[in-house]
Amino acid sequence: MPGSLDGSWRERASARDAAVGAFLQLDPSIGAADSAASGPLSGTTFGVKDNIAVRGYQLTCGSRLLEGVVSPYTATAVERLQRAGAVVAGKTNLDEFGMGSSTENSAFKRTLNPFDHGRVPGGSSGGSAAAVAAGIVDFALGSDTGGSVRQPASFCGLFGLKPTYGAVSRYGLVAYASSLEVIGVLARSVDLVERVFAVMRGEDPRDHSSLPWESAARPARAAKAAKAAKGGARGKTAPLCVGLPRECAGEGLCPEVRRTLEATKERLAGLGHAVAEVDLPTLEHVVAAYYVIATAEASANLARFDGIRYGRRAGGAVNPEELVLASRSAGFGDEVKLRILLGTYVLRSGFQDQYYLRAQKVRTAIRADFARVFDSVDLLLMPVYPVPPFAPGSAEADPFAQKLADVYTCSANLAGLPALAFPAAVEAGLPIGMQLLAPPFAEDRLFEACRGLEKIFPSPDPGAP
Amino acid sequence: MEAEELQTTARMARLSLSTAEEERLGRAVERMLAYCSHMASLPVDDLEPTTHALLTKNRLRPDESPGGQSADALLANAPEREDRFILIPNVL
Repeated sequence: MPGSLDGSWRERASARDAAVGAFLQLDPSIGAADSAASGPLSGTTFGVKDNIAVRGYQLTCGSRLLEGVVSPYTATAVERLQRAGAVVAGKTNLDEFGMGSSTENSAFKRTLNPFDHGRVPGGSSGGSAAAVAAGIVDFALGSDTGGSVRQPASFCGLFGLKPTYGAVSRYGLVAYASSLEVIGVLARSVDLVERVFAVMRGEDPRDHSSLPWESAARPARAAKAAKAAKGGARGKTAPLCVGLPRECAGEGLCPEVRRTLEATKERLAGLGHAVAEVDLPTLEHVVAAYYVIATAEASANLARFDGIRYGRRAGGAVNPEELVLASRSAGFGDEVKLRILLGTYVLRSGFQDQYYLRAQKVRTAIRADFARVFDSVDLLLMPVYPVPPFAPGSAEADPFAQKLADVYTCSANLAGLPALAFPAAVEAGLPIGMQLLAPPFAEDRLFEACRGLEKIFPSPDPGAP
Repeated sequence: MEAEELQTTARMARLSLSTAEEERLGRAVERMLAYCSHMASLPVDDLEPTTHALLTKNRLRPDESPGGQSADALLANAPEREDRFILIPNVL
C-alpha cells in the first residue's frame, strides 16, 4: 500500500467519514495492490459508488437484496484509474440502485451533507459527493442516469462531470437504465476532473455501447458569433457562445438558484463569452419521457435479481417461483418497487404505445431540439436543481417533487450529451451549482469554460467536521 | 389504477405487495402515469423512436471467452450451495 495511506490517513479518513457517513465500506488495503506504483494519477485516492464493481469489495447497490455480495471483478473505468496509479479507498453510499436524489433511499445508512449535517448530500451519488467534499478522498466515481453525478456535486460544492453517453465504459456498472447512464467523476477542481476523465474514457471491447473518444471541434459559426457579440476575446481562451434556455430561467427556480443563475451569466460575460437566450420547448416533456424510459429499462435490468445466484435469499420458499417472489419483495425498497412497477406497466401490451413508444419518440424530439440549439451556440447554461440542498422530511424531499426536479439534468441523459456541474454560490451556508451542457464529445469545451469560472468561484470548503 | 391492474403488473414484475404497499405504491404509480400522460400534447407521430442517443448500429464480438472470470469467485456469492452446485427448492 502506498505510504500516504498509512495509519494516520486511515485515522483521519475514518474520523471524517464518521461525521458524514459517506462510505459503505472504507478500506484502501483491499484494492491497493491492484494500483500501479506510478502513473499520471499516483498519489490520489478515490471513492467508488457502490454500484460499480471493484474486485474484492462489496457490491450492494445500496440494496438489502445484494447485502454481502463481493465483486469478483473490476469495472473497466476503475481498472484504468488503478493502472494510472490512483488507489480505491472504498465504496460509497447511494440511493438503492441509483434511484433517488437524496441518498435517503439507501438500505444501509444516511449520508449527511458536509456543509450542513441537517441537509441531504443529494443523490443518487451522495456518498461520493460527501466523500470528496469532506476531504476523505481526492475524487470519486458516480453514475449519472438522470443527474445522479451533477446534482450531488451541486449540493456539495463540487465539479461533477456526466460524460457523453458511451465515452466511458459501463462494464462493471450495475445496469439501471442502460441507454441513459454513464460513469462520471466528482472532484474539487476542473483539472482533476479532466485528468480522471482522460484516463477513464475510450472504447472498451467489454462494453458494446462504448465509443472511441475524440474531442469534437468547435463549429466556426458559433465561435464567430461569440467573437462578434463581444468584440473579440478578453480572456486567455477564445470566447464561447453560451445559450440559456428561456424555459430554465424563470418559473420553478427558487430565489437563491435564480440569483445564482444570474450571477453565473454575469461571470460568463465578464470572461468574454457571449450569453444568448435560446428556446428549448421540449424541456417541458423531459421528465415524463425520462421516467417512462428509465423505469421501463429498470424493470428489465432488475429482473436479474432473484436471490438464487447471489444476494440475500428469502427463507421458507417451497418452490423456485416463490423463492424469487419472496426474495425480491423482501429485498427491494419502496422506490425501487415503484419504478419496477411503473416500468412493467408502461411495457405491458395495450399500454406500450401510449407510454413507452411515445416516450421514445419524445426523446427523438428532444435530441432534435438540442441539435438545433447547438447549431448556434457552443454550450448551454442550465441550473442543476431548482432548490438548494434540502432537509430530510421537507416538502422538497417528497419523492414526486424529487422526480419533477430532475427537469434540468435528465435532458442531457436523454440526448446523450456531456454536462459539467460547477459550484456557483454558497447561500446561507449551502452550496448551489450550475451546469454547462455541450454537444457529444465536446467535454473539452466544458473544461475550458469551467476553468475560467473556477478562478472566480472555486469549490467551497465546508470546513472542519 | 384498479387494484387488479396493479396486482397483475406486480405479478409480471415478480413482486408481491402487502395491502399497505398496494395502497401506497398504487397511488404513486398512478400519479406518475397521470403526469407522464401529458406527453400526449407533443405531436410525435412523424418521428422515429430513439432507443439510444448515440448508437447507430449493433456491434458484435467474436464468440470467444475473454477469460479472467473465476467460477469459484462467482460461486462464492451464491446464498445456498452444495459443492459447485447452487441449491434451489424443489421444482416439482
